[in-house]
Amino acid sequence: MSVQTSHPILHPTLLESGPLALAHSQDSRPEQTALEIAQRAVLNILEDFAAEKSDLQLGQRATLNIFEDFEAEKSRMAGAQRAALNILEDFTVEKTLLQAAQRSALNILDDFSAEKAHLHETQRAVLNILDDFDQENVKVQRANAQLEKEITDRQRAEEETQRANKELLAANRELEAFSYSVSHDLRAPLRSIDGFSQALLEDHADQLDSSAKDHLQRVRLATQRMSVLIDDLLNLSRVTRTPMRWERLDLSALARSIAEEVQKADPTRHVEFVIADDLVAEGDWRLLRVVMENLLGNAWKYTSAHERARIEFGASQHNGRRAFFVRDDGAGFDPRYADRLFGAFQRLHGPNEFPGSGIGLATVQRIVRRHGGEVWAQGAVERGATFYFTL
Amino acid sequence: MPNQAILLVEDNPDDEALTLRALRKNNIKNDVVVAHDGVEALDYLFGTANHAGRDPNLIPQVVLLDLKLPKLDGLEVLRRLRADERTKLLPVVILTSSNEEQDRLKGYDLGANSYVRKPVDFNQFIEAVRQLGLYWLILNERPPLRRA
Repeated sequence: MSVQTSHPILHPTLLESGPLALAHSQDSRPEQTALEIAQRAVLNILEDFAAEKSDLQLGQRATLNIFEDFEAEKSRMAGAQRAALNILEDFTVEKTLLQAAQRSALNILDDFSAEKAHLHETQRAVLNILDDFDQENVKVQRANAQLEKEITDRQRAEEETQRANKELLAANRELEAFSYSVSHDLRAPLRSIDGFSQALLEDHADQLDSSAKDHLQRVRLATQRMSVLIDDLLNLSRVTRTPMRWERLDLSALARSIAEEVQKADPTRHVEFVIADDLVAEGDWRLLRVVMENLLGNAWKYTSAHERARIEFGASQHNGRRAFFVRDDGAGFDPRYADRLFGAFQRLHGPNEFPGSGIGLATVQRIVRRHGGEVWAQGAVERGATFYFTL
Repeated sequence: MPNQAILLVEDNPDDEALTLRALRKNNIKNDVVVAHDGVEALDYLFGTANHAGRDPNLIPQVVLLDLKLPKLDGLEVLRRLRADERTKLLPVVILTSSNEEQDRLKGYDLGANSYVRKPVDFNQFIEAVRQLGLYWLILNERPPLRRA
């Protein structure tokens, strides 16, 4: 755009005739004055024109500025448009993303339904468990009540046991007093009967015929048998009364010492003792000595009718347990009566065959049972006997 | 004192008679003093009550002491004898019916010198008395006397 500098009102012809017209008016005063006025008017116009020109220039510049501004706006607008396009593009991407998000949200919702179903199942299961728990609780409460009852019962049973124990101790003390009295008082009259029978036989022999003497001898024998019976009975009761003292025992050595004793008591007999070495057991020394004395003593006694005899002490296995045994080749016994062997006062032989009170094996059985063991016998008439015991 | 006494402490008259018979059968000629209960035995030994005036320095050769006695039993008599200076060393033989372990244990515990069980068989009883006489009256040297 070009800037026009010529004013449309200022025609060049007018400009040339202006100073001329002024010259004309200076010739004459009135005319001069009019000229001056016109001059001034032209000058004013010119001034106004200059002002107008300046205004116009300003307006031109403003218009130019506006055009410039418009260009800038246009450029900005293009930028905005591009940005808008970019935004639209971005929006498409967003839309895709959104759709994906929506899909995944739907999936999640699907999953959530499944979860919800699971949750229901879990809830039902939990409810079932709670039901079960309730039932269990009832059971536990019932069991608790039962337990409490059992505890009470047990306490009652314990009290009962303690009472029974006290009674037992009292009974035991009484038994002890009884045994003590028996051992002192029952024997004294026997001594009198035997002693004075003997005194009669000695002091009045000349007044007694053979039959009277025989009667007195029978009286004496009976008192002596009774004395043995009392002693055996006392021993039998002592076996259960005396407290046990557990220790390790060499039964082989014990058997040898008893064998020596019985041989010394009757050195005329020919009896071979075969005693196994190192048979060791746990038990009460005094009580097991009574067992061994009885079994070896019996073997000695019941082989006495034989010219020669063999008595054996050893050990063998029976149902996985070690059993000690005393074996002889003497009179033996009828196995039909084997169960009577261990009863008190039970005898399988008459006193004329073999003497005895019938308490020895009962004592053996008591002692063996006190040790937690068993005793049994095998034998046949005239073919010997074997007595086994476990501890 | 050539013939020192035997003190027999025995309440049963049958046993007393049989013991005296057994001593006689064995030709034991010592005097035999019989006390019928524990109190009488102590009175004799210490010269008190019925035996007041008896010289307690005359100590028997041996005491044959039964255990079951009226008033004071044999073990209590033994305890008192051992507690007294005069009879502390006096030989005491317990001669009794029982062989109860508790009797034997207490008897020896209290200082008995022997414990003999009276056998029922009178011949065995005579033999026991014979051996007792032989040992306590002949073989054994008694302790020196402590005069009161």
